[in-house]
Amino acid sequence: MMRWLCRLASTRLTLFGMVFLAIGAGLSYDNPADISVWVLAGPLLLLALNLFAAILTQPGINRRPGLLMFHIGLLSICAMAAIGRLTFYEARVEVSQNSAFDVAAVDEISQGVFHQGELSQVRFVQQGYTVEYRPGLVRGITRSYLQVSDGRGGWLSQVVGDDTPLIIDGYRFYTTFNKGFAAILTWTPGQGEAITGILHMPSYPLFDYKQANSWTPPGSSEEIKFWLRLDTGMDREADWLLDVRNTDALLVVNNGEQRLELQPGQTANLPGGQLRYEALSSWMGYKIFYDPTLKWLFIAAMLTVLGLCLHYWDKFKHQSMTMIKDKQK
Amino acid sequence: MNSVFAELPWMWAGLFAYAIATLLAFRNVWQVGASDVAVLPNRQAEGNILLALVCGVLLIALALAVRWDRLGHGPFVNLFELLMSQLFSLGLIYSIVYWRVPDLRASAVVVMPLIWVLGTWILFMDPVDSRFPPTYHNNWLWAHVGFGKIFLSFSLVAAGLAGVILLRAIPCFTRYFAHMSDAALDQLAWRFMMLTLVFDSLMLIAGAVWAQDAWGRYWSWDALETSSFMTWLSIGAGIHVRLTYNIPTRLGALVILAIFFLAFTTYFGAPYYSEAAHKGVI
Repeated sequence: MMRWLCRLASTRLTLFGMVFLAIGAGLSYDNPADISVWVLAGPLLLLALNLFAAILTQPGINRRPGLLMFHIGLLSICAMAAIGRLTFYEARVEVSQNSAFDVAAVDEISQGVFHQGELSQVRFVQQGYTVEYRPGLVRGITRSYLQVSDGRGGWLSQVVGDDTPLIIDGYRFYTTFNKGFAAILTWTPGQGEAITGILHMPSYPLFDYKQANSWTPPGSSEEIKFWLRLDTGMDREADWLLDVRNTDALLVVNNGEQRLELQPGQTANLPGGQLRYEALSSWMGYKIFYDPTLKWLFIAAMLTVLGLCLHYWDKFKHQSMTMIKDKQK
Repeated sequence: MNSVFAELPWMWAGLFAYAIATLLAFRNVWQVGASDVAVLPNRQAEGNILLALVCGVLLIALALAVRWDRLGHGPFVNLFELLMSQLFSLGLIYSIVYWRVPDLRASAVVVMPLIWVLGTWILFMDPVDSRFPPTYHNNWLWAHVGFGKIFLSFSLVAAGLAGVILLRAIPCFTRYFAHMSDAALDQLAWRFMMLTLVFDSLMLIAGAVWAQDAWGRYWSWDALETSSFMTWLSIGAGIHVRLTYNIPTRLGALVILAIFFLAFTTYFGAPYYSEAAHKGVI
């Protein structure tokens, strides 16, 4: 057993592992879809085993506290990264203004096989948002205003955006460039209950030129096309603040037979029912990220560097300076 | 004077001071080599080199301050700013090391031309204004950039010492560095490589925390991340080889220069390779 461990702790194996890891890193550039995760996981596993065996068998490592801390730290980073990949969760979601986050609306989900978080427990309500733009439509600071459940029946105000995510139960919600306007519509069919919903338009100002969407009323086969004619005050040559409160929007409705223009609060009679344009609203797109190892990964990385510093301190302290000063040799 | 270019005269003056430091460094080494008897380097001349270096650092600091005041943000965004801030930080840290560690002063003949690679490069660049991305309003950016600058500076010092080791191996240059030994230079160079590993690690950690805040992921194998990971790995492998196999001094010097080249490419090559090197820029 010891003989095998000693072989596994070989310093040559470390070098091979490092070379393979470098190749794996090069192949992983830009996360190509056709490259297996094993180009990284394989060398990392090899290096982790090599490191583990070295810690157990090499007195040069396990009898030097700093070096031992450094190597255990490296091993911990590998372990944390692996656990992180098994338990992570990533997704995207659009949340409408004055609406609560709805786990059913989450899209583009990617998660580790052992992910056990409870995203459905997350409670927050999206309010408005503002985005500063500089000349040339260069995006500046994003502020998204939220009401977050305090867990005791109350709500707390919170502003998130750019590098300040909303963090609830380990889930991190990041604002994205993907945000836009929406129309709140009420459909009253000829018979039955009225329904109110929010129709999201494409991302703004990215798709400024096509703020359009369509909807088919329940029980009908006729698709209704909508177009928001926005007046946001956008000025490409000057500073500008994107804010739904400063925006007017006319809703153009087209059901194939007629074209109508509605102001907020106006109603249109369409085949099969009445459509009321209640108000202009907005939506914010969030990236959701969850990785329970983040804090531990950071601690492990810092301990690794601390171990390295301790080792160098000890090494430099004990080294004779005479070798540095032997200029006359 | 056009206010847009208000920082340029200060930067040119700083580069001129660096040029004087470079010429003095060569002159000092030449005087040591020209003597028929073994002589130690002239401390007075070394003092003049340090003075020129410090003047260069102060003038470039002034140029940075003028630009910072004009644009309202630090030199973090485009390549012109990156080069300008590196000219400052490399000069500053090398000045401190030059002052505190007399044994490495001969390395100025290698280090100063390397700094001048950046100096020449920036002279051909348009000092275009940059816009500060919203994700750069983060304190971890400072830690990331700060550790990165120390990392590259120590790597430069190690490369300078490695360059002297290799110059000593060329017969016609040996007498210019006769007052030093390969062993002493080698030991000093690898000490700086060890410090390089510490600060490179800290730079990666701070960068990962910033990336997590800014873009919702701590690592994504973009151009800079891939290249900087390879640099970190090469430093680790280099130190591992040096300590485990006790490789010949000259081979060790080549390894150090190769690592410095990789670090240099990471800093100044990756932004060319990928426009979205750090995605907050766009």
